[in-house]
Amino acid sequence: MAANTQYYDLYRHGSLGTALTDALDDLIGDERIDPQLAMKVLTQYDRVMAETLQEKVKARLTFKGSLDTYRFCDEVWTFLIRNVTLKLDNNSQQVVADKVKIVSCSAKRSDDSSK
Amino acid sequence: MSNTAVGPVYETIINEVINSVRVDFEENGVDDGVLEDLKKKWQIKLSQMNVAQFPWDPRPEPAPTQAAPAQAAAAQAAQATPAPVANHTTSTFSPQASAQPLQGLHANGMGIKNEPHPARADPVIKQEPGLGNPGPQMPQQYANPPRVITAAERAAQAIHSKFGDRAAASIDAIQMTHQQQQQQQQQQQPQLQAQQFQQHPQHQQHQQHQQQRAVQHQQQVPQQQYQQHPHVQQQMQRPGQLPPQLVAQQYRQGLANNIQQRMQQLPHGQPPNGLPAAQVDGAADDVYEGVLMQRGPDGQPVEMGRVEIDELIHSQMAARAKQMEGGGLMLPLKEATKHRGVSSRKNKANGTGAAQFDGLDDDDDDLKDEDLDEDAINSDLDDPNDDKDDDDDDDDAMGHMMLCTYDKVQRVKNKWKCTLKDGVLTVNGREYVFHKATGEYEW
Repeated sequence: MAANTQYYDLYRHGSLGTALTDALDDLIGDERIDPQLAMKVLTQYDRVMAETLQEKVKARLTFKGSLDTYRFCDEVWTFLIRNVTLKLDNNSQQVVADKVKIVSCSAKRSDDSSK
Repeated sequence: MSNTAVGPVYETIINEVINSVRVDFEENGVDDGVLEDLKKKWQIKLSQMNVAQFPWDPRPEPAPTQAAPAQAAAAQAAQATPAPVANHTTSTFSPQASAQPLQGLHANGMGIKNEPHPARADPVIKQEPGLGNPGPQMPQQYANPPRVITAAERAAQAIHSKFGDRAAASIDAIQMTHQQQQQQQQQQQPQLQAQQFQQHPQHQQHQQHQQQRAVQHQQQVPQQQYQQHPHVQQQMQRPGQLPPQLVAQQYRQGLANNIQQRMQQLPHGQPPNGLPAAQVDGAADDVYEGVLMQRGPDGQPVEMGRVEIDELIHSQMAARAKQMEGGGLMLPLKEATKHRGVSSRKNKANGTGAAQFDGLDDDDDDLKDEDLDEDAINSDLDDPNDDKDDDDDDDDAMGHMMLCTYDKVQRVKNKWKCTLKDGVLTVNGREYVFHKATGEYEW
C-alpha cells in the first residue's frame, strides 16, 4: 500500500509546488495548521500533479541543444543543456533559451511504484 | 504543449489537491475556512510568479489584494516617516537649545565649566580666598556708567514695586554691607538687586568697607564652592526663596536688560560671584559663572533656563560621544567585547602586543583564521569555492528548469537522445506542461 502513495516530490520544485509550499508555510507560521497536515497536502500534491500530467496533458515537445553537463545519480538524470531550441507541436511555437536544466526521474519506477 | 494550457491544468490540480486534503483537514479539526485560505494563497502566490495566465487571475482578488496592502503600507510609511523624524529632532533639540546655544557657547568661548575663560574666571575665584581688594578692583575695571545704572535702577524699582518690603529690607542690609557679598545675594534676590542698584555709590565706598568684606569673604568661600557645582545644590539650600525669585525673574525678563539677565541667572543658583560691576557693564557675552547666554531672535542675549542648559549639555555630550565613536570607543557592548576578544586572542597567539591592534594584517592570516573560526558563523558554508562548483547547475534553477520523468536516455558517442514524459517546463518566465518530450543534443 505504501508503494501506491509513492510519488516523486520533484514537482514540488516547480512554480506550482513552490507556491503551494509558500502558502503552507504561511499557514504554519500563523499556526493555523500543523506541519504534519502540510506534509499531507504536499503528498497529495505529488500524486495529483503526476496523475494530471499523465492523464490530462497531451501536449508534445521536442527540443535540441548542446549538452553541457549530464549526471545520473540515484536513478535521476540531470542535464544542463545550453542554447536550447524548444518546439511546441501544438502551434509550432518556438522557444529559445540559452540554458535549461532538466531534472528527470525514472518514469518506470514511478509507474512501478504507483501500480 | 502550450502555455495557455497551463492555467486550466494547474487549476485542475489545485482543485483536486484541495478536495483530496479536505478529509485530512477535517480529521485534524482544522476549519474549512483555512482550507479555502490555503487555496487562495496558493493561487495568489502562483499568480505572483506570473508564469502563465490563470483562470482565477481575471478575478479582482489576487492582484488587487496584493497590491493594495503594499501601497497602503508604503503610503503609511511615507507619512509616518517624516513625522517621527520631526518629533525626534524637536524633542532632542529644543528650539532654543538647537543651533543658537551651540553658537553662543563657542562664540563666548564659554564651556560649561568655564574652562575656556580662565583669565576671566580667575579674578573672581581669587577674590574669595584672597580677602584682599578684588571686590573693589572688579567694579573699577567694569565701572560703567549711566546706562547700566538706569537699567539697574529700573530693575530695582521693578523689584521694589513687586517686593516692596523685602527689597527695602535687603537694600538696607546691602547699604550696610555693600555689594561685594554677592554670594549672599544668591541667597536673597532682593538683596542682590538692591546691591546692583547701589553699585555706583559703592565704588567710592569700597575702600572704606574692606574690613567688612574680609569677613564676608570668609563667609563666601563655601558658597563659591557651590558655584562650581550644579545650581541644584544651591536651590536645595534655599528652597523657600525660590518661588518669589522665579516670579521676579519672569517680570524682569520683559525688560531685556543685561542686568536683568544677570538677575535671572541668580535663580538658577549661579552667583554673580562678587562682581557687581561686571554684571552692570553690559558685556552680556561675558562669561559668568556657570551661566549661559543665548542670542535671542532679536539679537539680544537671553539667559538660558536650566532646562535649556541641560539640553545643551546633553547635545554636546551626544556630539562628543559621536566623535568618539569614530575611534570605536562607543561601540555597542557586543561589538566592543567581540573586538577585544579577538585582539586579545591574537595577542596570545602572536606574543606581541600593540602591533595587532592596528588592524587585520595579512601576515596574521593563519593565526587569525584559526582564532576567528570559533566566532565565525557558517564559515565553511561561505567558502567561495563551493559556490563556484554549484553555480553552473543551480544558479538559475528556477529560471529555466524542466521537471519530468524519463522513459529512455540513450547515448551514442557524444550524441544523446532522450524521451521524457509528464513534464513541467519553465523557460523565459513562462511555464509549459507536456505529456511527452523528445530531446536530442550533443555533448
